[in-house]
Amino acid sequence: MPLVTRAARAVTALATGLALSFRVMLRRKVTVKYPIDKVDVSNRFHGLLALPIDPETGKDLCIICFQCERICPDRCIHIEAEGKGKERVLTRFDIEMDKCCYCGYCVEVCPTEAIVFVPHYEASTYNRDQLLYNLDDLHRAAPKEPIARGIIGGRVP
Amino acid sequence: MALRTEELMLNMGPQHPSTHGVLRLVVTLDGENVMDVQPDIGYLHSSVEKMMEHRTYVQNVALVDRGMDYLIALNNEQAYCLAVEQLAGIATPDRARYIRVIFDELNRIASHLVWLGTWAIDLGATTVFLWCFREREMILDLFEKVTGGRLHHVYYRLGGVYADLPEGWVEQCGAFLDYFLTRVDEYETLLTKNPIFLARTKGVGTISRADAIAMGASGPVARASGVAYDVRKAAPYEVYDRMEFNVPVLTDGDCYARYLVRLAEMRESVRIVRQALLNLPAGEIRARVPMTMKAPRGEVYVHTESPRGDLGIHLVSDGGETPYRVKIRAPSFSNLYALTEMMKGWKIADVIAILGSIDIVLSDVDR
Repeated sequence: MPLVTRAARAVTALATGLALSFRVMLRRKVTVKYPIDKVDVSNRFHGLLALPIDPETGKDLCIICFQCERICPDRCIHIEAEGKGKERVLTRFDIEMDKCCYCGYCVEVCPTEAIVFVPHYEASTYNRDQLLYNLDDLHRAAPKEPIARGIIGGRVP
Repeated sequence: MALRTEELMLNMGPQHPSTHGVLRLVVTLDGENVMDVQPDIGYLHSSVEKMMEHRTYVQNVALVDRGMDYLIALNNEQAYCLAVEQLAGIATPDRARYIRVIFDELNRIASHLVWLGTWAIDLGATTVFLWCFREREMILDLFEKVTGGRLHHVYYRLGGVYADLPEGWVEQCGAFLDYFLTRVDEYETLLTKNPIFLARTKGVGTISRADAIAMGASGPVARASGVAYDVRKAAPYEVYDRMEFNVPVLTDGDCYARYLVRLAEMRESVRIVRQALLNLPAGEIRARVPMTMKAPRGEVYVHTESPRGDLGIHLVSDGGETPYRVKIRAPSFSNLYALTEMMKGWKIADVIAILGSIDIVLSDVDR
């Protein structure tokens, strides 16, 4: 191929690409200024885990059946309870969020919707110890008002 | 005066941005010419096969997501669920099978977009990289609306899928597909006829049909060398036998052919998703499978077409709650075999182009 033809082709290809890039530059921006603007997540989002308190009784919804602890693939849920029968109370409900893989099996198997996903995703800390969420942390993480609770028990919001 | 010359051994990686992970290439150079390449793997070995022996069949779905190829979580889940379902004789409802096909193909597009973007930026085309990730983000948003996850979904269950598609999702997905096809044309405008891109890729890193077969290459790498083999056609799983699609095959066997094959595959995937959305049947999405299921004694081998090639799972059960042994036939690992053959005789600058063109993910290679 003569040099002139090759040069002409190169210039054409370059101009086509630049013209397209210029057109795209004038389109609506898709990026988000992250720390200032936040991205909306869907109501099924696998965010942080939380234990909402039953608004009627003011107690935990958890019936201490240990199903979430058993199904957890990463074994990051630790539950302990005291008492017998109706007196039974949670004394420990720890989730090691640094181990958690956000698979959602615990939310799926829970018979009382006691453990839910909340649409929060900013959990970074400077200290790894703070990623061990105890009962208080999990209560605090649960939002006050009713929320979209992710996919619960196979039902779809 | 004659200067003394000798061959130079160069270590590329494991911390090199163009190796797409922690791969070390021991390159023997004669000046600028590549005499030999020895890939050194194992830096990302996560022992996923062994870990699967200690988790139940249900828990393993969450493991194949991220223990194998992290870019194609849904395709991994597909292969694993298919293997267990075949072993335990679980029948999946029709709607779930259609939904799985939709998600497999969307994940294939997402994976090819990552490949195209990162390969293009290796070759100096920054714009394509940003555009590819823009479209991939839209696919991830579509995923998030259904599965709750963006990369690691844990959406497929043994005998179906977790949750049904939310209202309006089918329309959103259809709208995305229309939009996406115009964007593929834009990538082509930037790359396909670009003389710089052509000079870097056309005729570079060729591998013959016979070599590709001998090395065990599969997927787009083999199809670019003229091997017309696609598991979706050769051994259809789920509802691929009801779909109408072509398998793009080229005979050049160079980087450019691999690029064209993957672009054509994205368009075919759009076709498959459209058909699946159109014919999506109503009904159940999940068969009743207990969370503590036991598989009967026996073994099974299932292979599927992942975006990188032939992904196989060999599962052995001794009748317990956990698999006795799992062997994963990873397409990236087999495709990496062909690398030495492709690179011999090319210049050091082409190493980047050739390595990128086979589209390996190191967590899939090392497992």
